[in-house]
Amino acid sequence: MFRKKFDELENEISGLPAGSYNQLVLKKFFKHKMAVIGAIIISALIVFTFIGPLFVETTYDEMDFMAIFAPPLSENHFLGTDELGHDVFVRIMYGGRISLIVGIVSSLVSTIIGLIIGLISGFLGGIWDKLLMRFVDIMLSIPMFPILLILSLVFGSGVFSIILVLTAFGWMRVTRLVRGMTLSLRESEYVMASQTMGQSKLMIILKHILPNVIPIVIVSTTLNLSYAILSESSLSYLGMGIQPPMPSWGNMLQGAMTYILGTGTGQTPWWLTFFPGFFIFITVLNVNFLGDGLRDALDPKFVSES
Amino acid sequence: MRGYFFKRTLELIPIFFIISFIIFALLNAMPGDPLLQMRMQNPRAFAQDPERLIELRAYYHLDDPLIVKYIDWLKNILTGDLGYSSQYKIPVAELLFSRIPNTLLLTVTAWIIGLVLALPIGIYSAVKKYSVFDYSTTIFAFVGISLPSFWFALMAIILFGVILQWLPISGIETYGLQGFWTVFLDKMKHLVLPALVLGIVQVAFWVRYIRASLLEVLDQDYIRTAYAKGARENRVIMKHALRNAMIPIITIIALDIPYFFGGALIIETVFAWPGMGRLMYQAVLASDYNLAINCLMFLAIITLLSNLLADVLYVLVDPRIKLDDVKRGG
Repeated sequence: MFRKKFDELENEISGLPAGSYNQLVLKKFFKHKMAVIGAIIISALIVFTFIGPLFVETTYDEMDFMAIFAPPLSENHFLGTDELGHDVFVRIMYGGRISLIVGIVSSLVSTIIGLIIGLISGFLGGIWDKLLMRFVDIMLSIPMFPILLILSLVFGSGVFSIILVLTAFGWMRVTRLVRGMTLSLRESEYVMASQTMGQSKLMIILKHILPNVIPIVIVSTTLNLSYAILSESSLSYLGMGIQPPMPSWGNMLQGAMTYILGTGTGQTPWWLTFFPGFFIFITVLNVNFLGDGLRDALDPKFVSES
Repeated sequence: MRGYFFKRTLELIPIFFIISFIIFALLNAMPGDPLLQMRMQNPRAFAQDPERLIELRAYYHLDDPLIVKYIDWLKNILTGDLGYSSQYKIPVAELLFSRIPNTLLLTVTAWIIGLVLALPIGIYSAVKKYSVFDYSTTIFAFVGISLPSFWFALMAIILFGVILQWLPISGIETYGLQGFWTVFLDKMKHLVLPALVLGIVQVAFWVRYIRASLLEVLDQDYIRTAYAKGARENRVIMKHALRNAMIPIITIIALDIPYFFGGALIIETVFAWPGMGRLMYQAVLASDYNLAINCLMFLAIITLLSNLLADVLYVLVDPRIKLDDVKRGG
């Protein structure tokens, strides 16, 4: 009762609308139109790729020899077919499943790794911090994409190894961010206070530092996600990622490359190139919108100007 | 200043060794070995004489421990012996020197296109904050950073190369052309699509950065002072704001140099541009170890040098920074 009044008073003073931090975050997020649209489209894509295949009869490797290189909107094939009569629409569903799994898992895992290393480095300081940061520096000066190429050769291709490879090279930026914040939080009064009260290091990190770095971490997860989806598709496009016949948006584009100049019968099957790439683009675009909205909503210093 | 530069350069040396070791170890972990390729090309010779294989393994030191192999290799490249390409059957150094100019032509052109577009767009959208132009720029930037560059390249090929047939879509020149200007023009035509694609993708990143950086400066008190004393808008922006906003921008532009070379790998592959990136891609595919490792080392050195360049520029353009304040990372 008293506490509620106190909150109201405080909000009156600071000029912020009433409500808890979480309510404020939600309010700000829903004000950000592009972010809401982004969230809706991403949910729709997840439903489309994970549940959609249950409702179609064809599978990704079923061939329709009566309809080879059928253009979009032709009978039975909404987005056309490729050189083997594979249905592009169905393959995009299945391929999206793979691309999204790879993207989501690798971005989550690499963010968690980055979070842990960043917390340790920032909180312990001293020699550990120096060593870890030097290691991050070195990892960041390795030409990333060529190394991804070689790593996917070393580990073989497949969903698991692609996730491994993208995770191995995706954690450094989160580490830097978290470490920077932890360094400044460590010096704050309330952390010092709990230190003098004899709180253990682990508890201080979990109770006082972690909640403060979570917003940044959420935003960088979305950045990592868009990056991971783009990298997976590039690797698969170069033939190093997910291997056919299992489709991914990237390797569908690789397949389309063969017929980019035409099929030999005077036809240009543009739909083979256009649709998989378009789905990558739409996914990444909306992840970026979502990330932007989350950044605005989660940052307490950023008071919405609209 | 010279002392700082010297110190930073010295710091690069251990990092160079660590990175080169990581790259070397990774390439050693790649499946297959150089002899496998030899055997595949000439299966009968090896079938008749199995001992030859053991001899060859010893001759090429294939069974030495990794660290010994690394030191041997390091000795060779530091004395200028980059080895022999198993795929092209010529020395790697020769191959690299024939391809590096092509990659430089592509990346430098893309870099210039990127700058020429990003600077004015970024500045204008910061000055006209929340205008229609600014909003369109923001949307464009989001589109740009979300675009898979190879898909963008493929669509450009379909549109300008296949449907409209305006521009050549692969390679760097048409064979059999005579005369300096004809060849030059032909090369330029081949350059247009790859350079534009590589440059435009970068514009999106830079525009957002330039806008944010300039907006932060435009909020400062001294900008209001400049307006208050009656300076015209152009002068305030060009003389007062931009000079300070440029500091982080220059750093980012230098730090992004390696991205051009990395991006060139995909773009060169799509457009069959005979540069380093495509060379490297093919080397990795064909298990051409010497070639792949040298291409990678070249990229790693470029990355290290652009980090150094960014650090040094940062200090050079901002006289307020004292050298002992400069911390790495952050």
